[in-house]
Amino acid sequence: MKKIVIAIFLLSTALFAQEFNASMKTYVQSLSVEAKKENPSFGGFDAKRGEAIFKSVHVSKKGKEISCATCHSNDLKQTGINVNTGKSITALAPSANPARLSDVKEVDKWLRRNFNDVFAREGSALEKGDVLTYIINQ
Amino acid sequence: MKKIVLLACVLVSFVFGGNNVPVVDNALYQKECTSCHFGYQPALLSKASWEKVMGGLNEHFGTDASLSKDDTSTLLGYLVANAGNSKITRGNDTIYISRSPYFIKEHRDISPRLISQKEVGSISNCIACHIRADEGSYRSRDIFIPNYGKWK
Repeated sequence: MKKIVIAIFLLSTALFAQEFNASMKTYVQSLSVEAKKENPSFGGFDAKRGEAIFKSVHVSKKGKEISCATCHSNDLKQTGINVNTGKSITALAPSANPARLSDVKEVDKWLRRNFNDVFAREGSALEKGDVLTYIINQ
Repeated sequence: MKKIVLLACVLVSFVFGGNNVPVVDNALYQKECTSCHFGYQPALLSKASWEKVMGGLNEHFGTDASLSKDDTSTLLGYLVANAGNSKITRGNDTIYISRSPYFIKEHRDISPRLISQKEVGSISNCIACHIRADEGSYRSRDIFIPNYGKWK
């Protein structure tokens, strides 16, 4: 019985868990090295903290309340909408849109831009790693 | 002979006149710029305007649209090589297409209500009414304004 439970558990993890590809793994690894440097007690990235960052509301440069979810919506499997231009944004969740979190250059670019737009500063390595861990599990 | 001349005139006006601009034919421009907004054709701004746009991407209309150095200079090269030099760009060296005197004149009769409505949202949303704007057509016959209809 125990074996069956373990087998089901392993199977379901294999089926549902999203994994970073090789180049993204290297990128996330470099973020964790940096996070450890910034804070020696760093013990790994956390999806819950990432979700809190993603949904935290700030006042944008335009003086309006804004969060990551303003454009990407609270359900990352759904299509979002650019609040400035009205153009639709393809789903952010890799489970719904496999192209997401697959290209380091794209990921790095959007993290830089979007932290600047929402937080009015760049994200720390810890914040970036947490957010990516949240998104990859969606 | 007369017919041939006439035909040639029609053809020339079709290709160059009639509010058509060359379509976007650069893959990097298509990828980077249209991920957020309509792909404004290079001919809609002057060389000086594009230089300002590309020099200020980290504060692009209130948004950080910064790119890598390489991509920025590749795109600037494409934009400058295809920049406009016509009635559309005359008198406008700003980063706003909508500040061109010709643009303002052409849109002067549009009621603000039709622009602010949610289907359009802003005067910068070309494709909301110029239904073939992505093909470079800004002709009258290709205008359809939501909740108004064909432009007359």
